[in-house]
Amino acid sequence: MNVIDVMAATLAELLREDARRVLLGEDVRTGGMLGLSRRCIDDPELAARALALPLLPATLAAHAGGLAAAGMRPIVLLPGVAPLLEGLAGLREVGALAAKNAGERTAPVLFVAPCGPGFGTAGDAVDAPETALVHTPGLRVIVLGRAHEAAALLTAAANFEAGEEPTVLLVPRMLLATALDDEPVAELGRLPGEPVRVRAGRAMTVFAWGECVELALAACAAAHGGEGVDAAVWDTGGLAPLSIDTLVEAARDTGRVVIVHAGPRSFGVGAELAAVIADRAVLWLDGPILRVCGEAGPLGPRQELRALPSEADLVAALQTLAIP
Amino acid sequence: MDTTPWDPEGATTVLDAEGRVEPGAIPAGLDLRIYYKALVAARCLDVRLGRAGVPMYASFAGEEAPLVATAMQAREQDWIYPGLRDVAVALVRGMSFEELARQVVGGEGGPGRVASASLRIATGTDAIAMHLALAAGQAHGQKLAADGGITFALVGEGATTTGVFHETLAVAAACDLPLVIVCRSQLWPSGAPAEAGVLGDSVADRARTCGVWERRVDGADPLAVYGAIGQAAARARDRRGPSLVEVVVTQLLHDPPAHRDPVERLRRHLDTTGQWTATFQDVAEAEVRGKLERAFAAAQAGVA
Repeated sequence: MNVIDVMAATLAELLREDARRVLLGEDVRTGGMLGLSRRCIDDPELAARALALPLLPATLAAHAGGLAAAGMRPIVLLPGVAPLLEGLAGLREVGALAAKNAGERTAPVLFVAPCGPGFGTAGDAVDAPETALVHTPGLRVIVLGRAHEAAALLTAAANFEAGEEPTVLLVPRMLLATALDDEPVAELGRLPGEPVRVRAGRAMTVFAWGECVELALAACAAAHGGEGVDAAVWDTGGLAPLSIDTLVEAARDTGRVVIVHAGPRSFGVGAELAAVIADRAVLWLDGPILRVCGEAGPLGPRQELRALPSEADLVAALQTLAIP
Repeated sequence: MDTTPWDPEGATTVLDAEGRVEPGAIPAGLDLRIYYKALVAARCLDVRLGRAGVPMYASFAGEEAPLVATAMQAREQDWIYPGLRDVAVALVRGMSFEELARQVVGGEGGPGRVASASLRIATGTDAIAMHLALAAGQAHGQKLAADGGITFALVGEGATTTGVFHETLAVAAACDLPLVIVCRSQLWPSGAPAEAGVLGDSVADRARTCGVWERRVDGADPLAVYGAIGQAAARARDRRGPSLVEVVVTQLLHDPPAHRDPVERLRRHLDTTGQWTATFQDVAEAEVRGKLERAFAAAQAGVA
């Protein structure tokens, strides 16, 4: 079983649990562009809730917002992040809906979008799409960090456990194709978007998200010729809003910080996190906050993996920080 | 009726310039005096809004009929998604003068916009015409919930060349949404070049080509407007699909002949049938003006 299989099964469960849930997205009636709706269309009772729509590049997000405002719980399955950028004006209206209506109307829409390189398509896959999304007021942006949490995170996001804001769940393509060796966790055990420490350590703190969580774990183990470093690694999880208190506390714990994420360093979420940590914890820091990121685009399909930071670069950063 | 260059071609009328109506053409169940008073109220509201200090205020005088007719025919469970300059919808739908003035003066929703979740009048959008997409989603939700509600979306012809408008027609037609689009066409808009909104013969024509039921009516004729919107609403309630009613209006700021004024045209009709007197007019106007004055004074004092 891989992550797509697990998420497809979860989506069918979610539709069964709540009759308000409907699926939108290209080809959802025939399985969807990633196959995420295929378990739903197998079941005749659920298939009717996979809605067939014409191509709506400018208005799909707003249409989903209208459905949600009318009391439905739309789940929009996207082939990538580009459709959200195409419909950004509409997405902004959906994000603003609750505030404009003083909370009397909400728009609990869940967008599920793969991000990052891994399918050889380049294009928006080499950008850091969350950078545009986190600037959308009222929108929650969360990103899957570890494959075995895919089902649990999808469920928690679809239940809007952290709040009824419209939510984008980003699923890195590098994780989508992952075969699941471990049993997928049944429950997330925290709110969707809440950061979680995935490795204990006292000498330095690594903040990662998406496909870079596994990269960070691997680099921490591989540093110093395999001896490893005494580093805490955090799966940041939620990019908007950032759980600033938790992350600042984790930075203060060690005083040495590395931030690692896909996409370019400039103007990214890592930059915001670094600035916030500098604001709130500079007196605890032993040195500058390091950011290890990918190359800026445009990158062609053959170079798309350069959008990810390399393990070598991250190991070098960790080893630098390990110097007393 | 002798048409003047001011009268739009290809736009249905039932009430002629002198207020005479074809037999049996008055929409069933419509109390004409109530309709007339609502139109007068909308006119008074426009005058008062012009003095309310709304930034970039654009008058809707001459365009009252589609606003009033929509508000009168929207039922409690229906939603109205207004565009810009559609404040009159809230007044006729039952918003109190005080609440309306408070929202206009406070400017929370943007200049000259009012909304109410309890009255099912949606908030506006910054992106041009994006409220049409939200309205389509709303209508889609009403269809899935099978609660019998429908959605009205108000728009001007300038927004009908946008991608948002075409996508809305596409999804409304494809999914058979209970959506009524009321499009006001100024033809010679005061705030835009004449080319704005022009794509083919008419907006209604484009809707028909897209497979959407349409009517094109003369906005100077309140009865034709009421009838067309009523037909469109009935279709949506019977789940017979979306529609577009194009209302061709003449803005009074162009100083047109009196028969282009919908309030005046209906007044002439009431006059020919003995239902209008100068006293009736004075009382109707005075009542509304008084309430507007008190409400705006209170709102402005509240902000000061």
